[in-house]
Parts: sequence; C-alpha cells; structure tokens
Amino acid sequence: MAAIQASGLAKRYGKVDALKGIQLTVEPGEFFGLFGPNGAGKTTMLRILTGQLRPTAGTARVLDIDVVREPLRVKSVIGIVPEVESPPSYLTAYEYLYFVGQVRKVGEVGARITRWFDFFDLDDARSSLCKDLSKGTRQKLMLAAAFLHEPSLVFLDEPFINLDPIYQRKVRDFLQEYIGDGGTVFMASHLLDIAEKLCDRVAVIQDGAIVATGSVDELRGPEEDLEAAFLRIVGA
Amino acid sequence: MVGLLRLMLKEEFRVHTGYSGRLAFLAFPIIITGFSLAIAVTSERLFTYTPFSDAILLLHASVFLYGLSVGAFGFLGRQYLERTNGTRNYLIAMPGILPMRLRKTFLGMYVRDAIFYVGLLLAPATLGLIVSIPFTHFRITSIGVLFGAALLSFLLGMSLSFFVSILYMRNQILFVISVAGVTSLFAAAGTTRTLPLSWILPGLAAHEQLPPFPANLNGAAQSILSGLGILVALVAGAVLLVPEQYEPRAVAAREKLPRLVGRLKRLRGYAPLLSKEFVDLQRSGTYAKMFFSFVTPLLFLSFTAWFVRYGLQVPVGFNTVFYAGMVGFFGVILYNWLNNVDATDYLATLPVSVPQVIRAKLISFLLLTTWVGVGFVGIIAWLNSDTRLLWLAIPIVLVTSVYIVVVTAYLTGLRTNSFLFDPGVLARFSVMSMLPDFGLTILSFTIDRDLRFAASAIALVLAILAATTYMLLKGIDAKWRGTEFGE
Repeated sequence: MAAIQASGLAKRYGKVDALKGIQLTVEPGEFFGLFGPNGAGKTTMLRILTGQLRPTAGTARVLDIDVVREPLRVKSVIGIVPEVESPPSYLTAYEYLYFVGQVRKVGEVGARITRWFDFFDLDDARSSLCKDLSKGTRQKLMLAAAFLHEPSLVFLDEPFINLDPIYQRKVRDFLQEYIGDGGTVFMASHLLDIAEKLCDRVAVIQDGAIVATGSVDELRGPEEDLEAAFLRIVGA
Repeated sequence: MVGLLRLMLKEEFRVHTGYSGRLAFLAFPIIITGFSLAIAVTSERLFTYTPFSDAILLLHASVFLYGLSVGAFGFLGRQYLERTNGTRNYLIAMPGILPMRLRKTFLGMYVRDAIFYVGLLLAPATLGLIVSIPFTHFRITSIGVLFGAALLSFLLGMSLSFFVSILYMRNQILFVISVAGVTSLFAAAGTTRTLPLSWILPGLAAHEQLPPFPANLNGAAQSILSGLGILVALVAGAVLLVPEQYEPRAVAAREKLPRLVGRLKRLRGYAPLLSKEFVDLQRSGTYAKMFFSFVTPLLFLSFTAWFVRYGLQVPVGFNTVFYAGMVGFFGVILYNWLNNVDATDYLATLPVSVPQVIRAKLISFLLLTTWVGVGFVGIIAWLNSDTRLLWLAIPIVLVTSVYIVVVTAYLTGLRTNSFLFDPGVLARFSVMSMLPDFGLTILSFTIDRDLRFAASAIALVLAILAATTYMLLKGIDAKWRGTEFGE
C-alpha cells in the first residue's frame, strides 16, 4: 500500500488550471520533496492531499483513505504544517498544543507538550498569546502541533522558512530520525539545499503539471547541482 | 491619499464580492432601491398613522445608529493589526512595513466606509424615492434635502463612533467616560425629553427647517454648519489620537483552556472547541462588544415602543410578549460576533469540520446569551408592571432566539457578516425571520382581547419554529460539510 497515491488530480480556480492531471505515488518511509516556482501548484496539491481542498477531478488516497470522501479521517491520521503559520490568536502557546491534543484525542497530552516545548525551547512562550509570538515561534508551534499525535505521515509546506539556522538544523535532524523510524514525509519547499540533504525522491511541478520526478541524483545532470537542475527543468 | 483611498475601496469591494459574488453583491443596492420605492409608494397610508415630522425623526435616529455601527474603526483597525487573519492581510496593516502613517490609513478607512456605505444604502434608498416621483409627486428638492440631512446624521454617527473607538485604543477610562456622556445625552433626549433630539442631531434640526417643512434658511444653515463643525472636530480628534506606532500589548495569560475542557467534558468532542470559543471571547474583548451590541438595539426598541405609545399617542399595547418576540430575533447580532473573533484557517489542519465548528458556536450561543434575553424580558415586564405574561414570554424568547440563530447559522455558516450582503441569502433570511416575527407581534396585540386564542396561536407558532429549528439543525451538516475553513 502506497502512503500517497494520486491519479488524474486536477484543480480549477475560475479559468485557471492550478493542477492538471497529477499522477503521483509516495511509498511509506520515503522523504518526498515537491519543488516548483511560485504559483506552480505546490500548496494546492498539498491542500488537496490533506483533505483541506476538494479537487475538480481525479482521485487521491492517503494511507489508503480517500481524501475526497473522508477528509476528516485523513486529517486525523496525518500531521500538517500549513504554508502560513497562523495558530489561533487568543490561545497561549501551551493552550494551542493542548487544544490540538484534545481535538486529536491524544493521551498524556501534558507530557507530549512538555517534550515539544523542550525540543523547541518554548518555555518562555508558554503563557504568551499566539498573536504576540514571533513568526519563528509560531512556526515551531505549528511543527509541534503536526507531530503531537505521532503520525506516520506528515505534510510540510515550507517548514523551514521562518526558522533560524539552529532550528533548521534541529528540525532536519529530527526529520531524518523520523524517516529512520519508518515515518513518511511529503514536503513542499523552495529550499533546494535542504532537499538535497533530505529527500529520497523529488518532483518538480510547473504550471500545475509534474514535469520531472526521480531521486536527486537522477534529476541532476553531469556536473550539475540541484539548483542548476531545477532551473534547467523549469526553463528559467 | 486619493491613491490609497482608491485601493481601499477596491479592497473593500473585493472583500465583499469575494463572499457573495460580484453580481449578487451589486444586486444589493438595487434591492434597497426597490424597497425604498415600495415604501415611498405606500407612504400616503403610512403618514395617516405617523405624522411626517415623527417619521423624519425616526429616520434620523435610525441613520445615526447605522453610522454608529459602521464607524468603529478603532476596534476594527486594532483587530486587523493584532490578530491573525489567516492567509489574508489588509491595507490597514501596511504602515507596519511601508513608510505610511497609521493616521492616514485610519482616515482612509473612515472616508472609504463613508463612500462605500452611502453607495450601498443611502444613495440607492434616495434613488428609490426619486424613481417614485411619478407616483408620489415628491418634490426633487425635498428628496435632495432628505438625502443631505440624512447624510449629515449618518456621518455624525460614524464620526462619533470613530472618535470613541480610537479613545478606546488610547485610554479605556476616557472611553467609558465619553460613552457615558453620549449615552446620557441621548437618554435625556429619548426618555425624559429634557433635550430635543434635534439639539444633538444637527441633520434632523436642519431637515426640520427646510422644505417640505416651513423653510428657515438661516436656521438650517446654522444647523448644517454646526453639524459639519462637530463632524470635522470628531474626525480630526480621532485622527490625531491614532497612535503613530501601534504596538499591541503583549500580555501573559493564565492557562484557562485545560480547566475549561475539564469542566465541559460531558460535551465530549465539543469540549475543546467550545472551551476555545469561551477563551477567545474573553481575551479578545468580544464579551463587551456583544453585550453592547445586543443591549443597544434593545434600548432602541424600548425607546421606539415608548415613543410610539406616549410620543405619537398611538394606542398600541406593547406587552411583555411583544418584547419577548423582538428580543429573540436580536440573537442574530450575537451569532455574528461569535464568527468575528478570529480567523479559522488553522482548523483546516485538524480533524474537525465546518459543521462541527458551527454547532460549537451554536452551543456557546445557547450557554452564553439566552439568559440575557430572558433577563431583559424579565426586567421590562417588571418595569412595565406586566409580569402576568412572563409564563408566555419566556418560552417565546427562548424558542425565537434559538430559531433565529439556527436560521442564521444554516444560511451563513461561519461567515455571517459577509453572507448577509448576499441578496439571495438576505432575502431568505428576511422571509424566515420577518414572517414569524410579524406573526408573534400581531398575536401579542390580541392578548388583551382573547388570551386563550392568542396563547394557543402563539403555541402553534412556537411549535412550527421549534420543528423548523430541528430540521435546519439537521440540515447544517449537509449544507456546510463540503466547505473549507477560510474559504
């Protein structure tokens, strides 16, 4: 059973085709990276695969669950870090994770929150309202919320974007450990250097269609780094 | 400034058309024109019961209140600057990253909304009167005077609201003092009549000195000038008080959510959502806004009833049952507030659905607000020495408030404020709210003639409303299941 299986996935916004017949398979235990220029369709695809958005056509199964028919079941078994870090304004950092734990019916929620507070050094932010937190701290909270219930598959939309190099490194190490323990990651990002270090397989999306897919080595030409390969593939 | 204003108007237009579609939104002023035309055509009959001068007074009081509700930019701007807006952002927040002055954007909001809401309501209503000329033979000059004077009352309401809400941003004690001052002025005019309302509404004063009233051009000019003077002073004062740099106060909060979830655990899956609602309402200051926005129309209703009975000497028996029906229907305001606390985009990442969140809001409405309506009806019954009908009034206020909120939730989901600008939704809402409201109002007037008949008919209406409420509650799931958060 594939972790993610999409077939003929399409999304239309008015007259714009945001996704055009996407075919995609991600195997369990894979670290899969989705790359593409701005507006290529990365976030749309991630939102469809996580049950946040309905496709105009096509089918998608995540952990063998139909994302169109059972979006809530999909969301209950996966973790999601959205593109915009927007935890609820009037809850404290602790309360937000507690809220997520309650909605997800997580046992021993206090101990799990403490673990993530320790991991991200969030103790100073514990009693601050989310609206008063820095972007980086909000991003840490969103990451903690995505992993709080220990899902076997996570979808990350630009997870490193607001993190300083120390936490980028820390999260990168954690994700490698997570993959080592059998987890699956689907990541949409612009950060090619991180992709080079982390991804088992990548796909490049442009104008709503996947234009290249394979391992980092397969995508790179001779004497080419991933950035050069990416620019060549998207014709920039 | 003109460039900024143009962009702000485009932004406001796109925000509204984003909810209901361009065509539906543009139909709204056309409906207002039609409505105004209908009132104008039937005005002859209306004026046989309500003298023209009283109708004008009610018009100015209503337009002033409308202005008050539109102009609270201090609250609104603060909300935009402080809270998370999901994937959206607004021009008001741009001074944070661009070399723009916050004062300029607040003034821009004032001018934007003055233009926007005059275009949306006042101008189409005036157009309806103009279109009615072949049937009503209204003079174009009288319509012009009515528009100008009503505009002055509207802008005065907006300016007062703008000023007072900015005071709230700067100093909450001054805010309370100013609100108390303004309230006592209106209370003096509305209840004890120690002040004529025209003294505090220069638009009304000017109107009463221009055609079709006997003309006193000097007096009217003085009223207009004093009105404009107050308006400019309030707007200038508000703009000067806008802080140049707005820094939201970062406050540490005590953890409340876990305790609340524990208390509400009987509600199982709804406990976290509901607890979050309560925490949000308290920390965002929405409780106070809800209270004032509920109490203001209640006071206005009491004043109108009092005015019709004693001011206009119309022999209508406004008993406790009448108030109960009216109060129940104000619940829509409170449900709207529940949807305006914070963005819900983050919920898209969690295993919760839009119908679940709607139901959580309905439960919080029931737990938080029904007692306010019941309390008000109890107080008004006691004040009017009419407690004999409380046994009938209390079921009415409970059933109608739950009914109207469920209707609102069914029709507008989590975007009440926006969807009520959709003419299709507004039309359905109007039919579903006005029909039972009229029915209960008429039945309340028959109580003194035949209590048994009135009580039986009211029981029937309540049973129909309760059945409809049940069906709509069931329908919420099917209607909103496919909707996305932040859509």
